[in-house]
Amino acid sequence: MSGAFRRAGLVLGLPVVLFVVWWFASYDSKDFYRPPLHKILEAFRDTWFGERMVQDVLPSLIRLGIGYAAALAVGVTLGVAIGSARWLRALLEPVLEFLRAIPPPVLVPIVILLAGIEDRMKVIVIVSGAVWPVLLNTVEGVRAVDEVLADTCRSYRIRGLARLRHLVLRSASPQIMTGARQALAIAIILMVISEMFAANNGLGFLVVQFQRSFQVTEMWSGVLLLGLIGVALSLAFRFVDRRVLRWYYGLRAVERQPK
Amino acid sequence: MSQPVRAGRVGQVPALLGAAGLVAVAVALELAPRLGLVPAEFMPPTSTILAELARQLQRPEFWVALRDTLVTWGIGLGIAVAAGTVAGVVIGTVPGLRAATSSTIEFLRPIPSVALIPLAVLLYGARIQSTLMLVIYASFWQMLVQVLHGVVDVDPVARDTARSYRLGLFARIRYLVWPTALPYVVTGVRLAATVALILTITGELIIGTPGLGKEIAVASESNAVPPMYALVLVTGLLGVGANLAFRAAERRVLAWHPAIRVEAAAAL
Amino acid sequence: MRRQLAALLFAAALLTPAACGTTNQPSAPPPAGQPDKVNVGVIAILDVAPIYLGKQKGFFASRNIDLTLTTAQGGAVIVPGVQGGQFQFGFSNVISLLLAQSQNLPLKIVCNGNNSTGVDGQDFGSLMVKGDSPITSAKELEGKKVAINTLRNIAETVVRASVKKAGGDASKVQFVEMPFPNMAAALQSGQVDAAFPVEPFQTAIRDAGGKSIASSWVDAAPNLTVAAYFTSTQTMETRKDLVDRFTAAMKESLAYADSHPDEARQIITTYTQITAAQVAKLTLPKWPAEINRDSLQKLAELAMADGLLKAQPDLNALLPSA
Repeated sequence: MSGAFRRAGLVLGLPVVLFVVWWFASYDSKDFYRPPLHKILEAFRDTWFGERMVQDVLPSLIRLGIGYAAALAVGVTLGVAIGSARWLRALLEPVLEFLRAIPPPVLVPIVILLAGIEDRMKVIVIVSGAVWPVLLNTVEGVRAVDEVLADTCRSYRIRGLARLRHLVLRSASPQIMTGARQALAIAIILMVISEMFAANNGLGFLVVQFQRSFQVTEMWSGVLLLGLIGVALSLAFRFVDRRVLRWYYGLRAVERQPK
Repeated sequence: MSQPVRAGRVGQVPALLGAAGLVAVAVALELAPRLGLVPAEFMPPTSTILAELARQLQRPEFWVALRDTLVTWGIGLGIAVAAGTVAGVVIGTVPGLRAATSSTIEFLRPIPSVALIPLAVLLYGARIQSTLMLVIYASFWQMLVQVLHGVVDVDPVARDTARSYRLGLFARIRYLVWPTALPYVVTGVRLAATVALILTITGELIIGTPGLGKEIAVASESNAVPPMYALVLVTGLLGVGANLAFRAAERRVLAWHPAIRVEAAAAL
Repeated sequence: MRRQLAALLFAAALLTPAACGTTNQPSAPPPAGQPDKVNVGVIAILDVAPIYLGKQKGFFASRNIDLTLTTAQGGAVIVPGVQGGQFQFGFSNVISLLLAQSQNLPLKIVCNGNNSTGVDGQDFGSLMVKGDSPITSAKELEGKKVAINTLRNIAETVVRASVKKAGGDASKVQFVEMPFPNMAAALQSGQVDAAFPVEPFQTAIRDAGGKSIASSWVDAAPNLTVAAYFTSTQTMETRKDLVDRFTAAMKESLAYADSHPDEARQIITTYTQITAAQVAKLTLPKWPAEINRDSLQKLAELAMADGLLKAQPDLNALLPSA
């Protein structure tokens, strides 16, 4: 029983301490740009719950979801195709490395030119940045398929879709998940950035509007909300990751045991 | 499957193919606007972009912007690496600290750096400090995670030996922790450098700190499309160049190091 | 044990976010005989031609001011810049300043920036539609999309004023934020039904066949003061002499630019990407030396009616004492 308490204490200890320190240190703050924490929390409660949740936060998250799903689909599909053919990989590697090196926000003005300013543009921006980690990691994962397993499949004449599913995707999945996690972080960042240009709704849009009209407490509450969303999605991902890669983590735990 | 390797030729074929790929893409992007497949005023042909790039290279403003970007990048990366290394070594070595800070780190890490942009603008306007705030915040976590993994990776036998010899904290860090963590530190620097460059350009683009990103924003706002593409090309080349340089440095520094060069799987 | 404690404290100090405070340092007076170094935050648009012209003509140097002009993206960056001490003075549209004042930001307008020409149909910005658009009056914009460069700011206020003046319901108009250069293509493609560009984009759209249906600066208030130069109240209190000299130099610059439009056009080609051929066709704003206070009052009332300003702003606190 004390073990659980100890664990809870370790997990909550420092965050609670930091929170309390912030609360009291800022309590009487007159600094225009650093309002007291309790005012920020009040603004948080007043601003975000209510129609703003539906009007702005929900569309943002939906665009994020669509963009992320599209990035995964495109990245995995292309990644499997490119990773399976050595000549294709060699052909495309410099091009992909170059495209990956372009900072995603820099593509926003270009995407606006090509795709206008509606939701479509925002989703394309998210995909254009999030696809690279997925794509490149999938290529790596597919390339590194264990030779012995590949030979075994050939001996048993396992081909086509079954081979894809049981051999390629499964052995590449840890690498693909790594890419998916990086892509999630990038997707969140691009979701916010795509709403800072030429938008009229969304979480990033609102935070920028607050900043422009000098509503500092509301802006801080928006920053807080963005942080919470980042954390929540990260936890959700970790949960999915542990389920999907159950077999992989189990294997590694076994390998790590002292012989 | 077991064909004898043709000595000497193997390395050249992928390189040739890679070059061919680049050329093919360049040609495709040259023809597409000319044939009307994409509107030429929104995506100029490759030759126009390259000509514009040559023109940009002659503008002193371009070199000033490049210097600004490199300076911001360098300062941000330097601070993040230093802070990340020290924090990582301390947290990893002092007993109990890792467990105590773990939840806080996992909470702060996924906060998107762009959430800080409005805050940075209010605090620092368009000065270099705004962009530095973004760069340092994002790169610090990259570095910290890598260093922590390195510190934790210390061989248990060696650690016990150190304890038997009653090595103090600083001696342990110097002889035990640091050599083990070094490959992770080096990898961490490379990863942090990539993130730092992206955030530097992002900050310049959105906040308006002087640099290549700001030049891209100005070009975009005055509807100067070829310069915009030319500058985007430059940022891509910077990223690729940085990646190659850091990988080469990594290989050089770790050439002597036994092969424990595992990029921590949780380096995300 | 002590070493470990020291390490712990060291770590704690490092983990504390290093958000350095912005010390609002007022510019210290220079050593005797040296001119004041003044950095002004401006936006690279037509409106600030007078200050560039004044610098060129030496109006600032003659008053012992060593002027540096720094271009920034917009008021959102210039206002914190003035507050944080990066700029001693800044240029911003009056709605941004009213918004800042309503949040109790310690700012003070020192002198006029630029005004609307006051002439309907011949202003430096107008509400435009594409050439073959069936829309002929702002009233017909109900339920339609209008492109403006910044939402919840001055463009929205004055376009709403146009709609109201034409007898329409401004709340039914859908505003879309878009950078000026994208407006021409958006109008052509039908992505938006109307746009509110300012020069040089107004002339560019007109050349491409677009037509104006309203002069929104005029519809908002007669001879509207659109933008102004401002400083922080701290600078106002501690460097009053500098502020007075800057104001005098600005007034001289404004009057000169207003009466020498050709020189104003010429200077515009030096700090923007606009060419000499293009600038000859543009409609310039007016540059009176004095702020039109009545127009500001009217604008504030419009903004409050639109819900942009939540409370009556204190114009006396914001404007320089008459």
